[in-house]
Amino acid sequence: MEKLYISLTDWIKFLRGKIEERIIYAPIDNEGLLFYEILNEGNIEKVVYNRARPVEPLKLFLYPFKERTYPELENIPQIVVIGPASCDLKGTEILDRVFKDSEFKDPNYFKRKENTLIISIDCKNPYKTCFCTVVGVRPYPEENYDLNLSFIENGFIIEIGSEKGRNFIGEDTRFYNVTESQIKILNEERKNVIQKIEEINEEYNLKNFENLKGMFQKEYWEKPVDVKNCVSCGSCTSNCPTCVCFLLEDTSEKDAFKKVKVWDSCLFPGYAKMASGETPRPTLYERYANRLLCKYWYMKENFGMFGCTGCGRCISGCIGKIDKRKVLSEVLREKLKV
Amino acid sequence: MEKNIYKPIKCEVLDNIKESPTINTIILKPYEEFSFLAGQFASFTVPGIGEAPFTPSSSPFDKEKLEFTVMKVGRVTEKIHQLKKGDIVGVRGPYGKPYPLENFKGKDVLLVGGGVGLAPIRALFLALVETYKNYNKIVFCCGARTPQDYIYKELIFDEWQKLCEKIPLSFRITVDKKDENWKYMEGVVTKTLDGLDMDIKNGVAIVCGPPIMMKFTTLKLLEIGFAEKDIYLSMERKMYCAVGHCRHCMIGDLFVCKDGPVFTYEQLKDKPNIWA
Repeated sequence: MEKLYISLTDWIKFLRGKIEERIIYAPIDNEGLLFYEILNEGNIEKVVYNRARPVEPLKLFLYPFKERTYPELENIPQIVVIGPASCDLKGTEILDRVFKDSEFKDPNYFKRKENTLIISIDCKNPYKTCFCTVVGVRPYPEENYDLNLSFIENGFIIEIGSEKGRNFIGEDTRFYNVTESQIKILNEERKNVIQKIEEINEEYNLKNFENLKGMFQKEYWEKPVDVKNCVSCGSCTSNCPTCVCFLLEDTSEKDAFKKVKVWDSCLFPGYAKMASGETPRPTLYERYANRLLCKYWYMKENFGMFGCTGCGRCISGCIGKIDKRKVLSEVLREKLKV
Repeated sequence: MEKNIYKPIKCEVLDNIKESPTINTIILKPYEEFSFLAGQFASFTVPGIGEAPFTPSSSPFDKEKLEFTVMKVGRVTEKIHQLKKGDIVGVRGPYGKPYPLENFKGKDVLLVGGGVGLAPIRALFLALVETYKNYNKIVFCCGARTPQDYIYKELIFDEWQKLCEKIPLSFRITVDKKDENWKYMEGVVTKTLDGLDMDIKNGVAIVCGPPIMMKFTTLKLLEIGFAEKDIYLSMERKMYCAVGHCRHCMIGDLFVCKDGPVFTYEQLKDKPNIWA
């Protein structure tokens, strides 16, 4: 893997040259939270590189909230996204698997992916809600990026992950070969971040997820006291890097067929409700359970991997202040008692 | 360019027939070839209103037209009932796994249909009749709430019964509540399963109907000796994409659209809330 180094000042100069030709999104601090903004002269020096993942998941760029899916879109813009963390990149593996079924390929998703240059970052200061290592994801990207930035010594170690990433840098002479001592610092810091995340999650009983298999009875999910605080707002599903559920809106005019995809949430009571009014999950507890079972059971069966990358957005964004880790710990303990 | 998975085929409405107070059969002429196997389903677009999944009820061997028997329960189905000759609608598919006819070879085949659940069974029945030599015998159990609620009245009470003289086929017909002209059984459809004249150990059962009917029919079939793997159920769930992406139709880790809609009871028995 090719690794380069660039100082922060030179990186900003480099980006200045790029904002003219492409739309570049990057995380900017807004009252303590990181949100993507389109870079311009006014904010280019305010990009935050040394914290953790932004509020919005990367999926927002690859699979927007609402888009026409038939006829498929013709003009998908070329964009650059700086700032997704390892948990976000892992999430694209689920999206890839969902949207490229063996027979059925989504009309827009892969074109968007092709037109998006991903510049990920190493997670440096994990939040209290982070738990990537618990689900087997490292806090630094290992694949699925075009370039990866790791902030050290007032500059970046840049890992080149694809031809697309290499071309973005081109022959720019502000990038140097990385030194061995810089690599040493990088490895040391990465180890420390892993340790930090493990410490954050020490209090939870997050293992043996395979025990969740078959635990759909609502009795299991009524016990953890927090679940009743769920207000079915769908924040967890919107912010999740792997939640993909959508509904199709028909906006056809006579015989000019038109279909529009809109995000949906399995927490909404109407999600699985049929025209007859019947639903397989009439209670809040069953709907809450469904989301977690989908993450740790169904998607594992469907795609061979968890539908959770430990980003913690469903915890930090929860109106009912439900900490999923606490709920899972309680449910998994309960299972052992049975 | 690759074919867009959401592109419907244009179809013209040829007729819209009232079957019962709440059920119509819509006959369509597809403008492009549309072929399916019994048990597979299609997504039916009413332009500007919405889309809903139905299993065609016409014979899979009929390439000229496509029929759907639809109960009026919601927004889309209400519009389907209002369709008139000449209207244009959309159909995409076929999707899902069909009834595995090859597994029925040399077997006694039991069909159990209730109410609008007779629709997919009709397509299967027509396919079975076409290939009847492959099976030992066919027993067709039909149920509905009242005689008026029966769909395919002319077929069930007349045309299809005539086939019994030519092929190893028999009918067992019931209604929950009879009227003065009714000459068949009275009672829920599980009653037709008492004293079945068939080799259950060498039998397969195909069930389609409302959830409560499927539940009690399955329990009864197990009780009289059918193996879990020989009970085939046609499942229904809220559905949008029909291609395994949107995840609305999942029963646990199974997709009704992709792994089904036909499942064996063995596949479903440990999954969440199957009788919803």
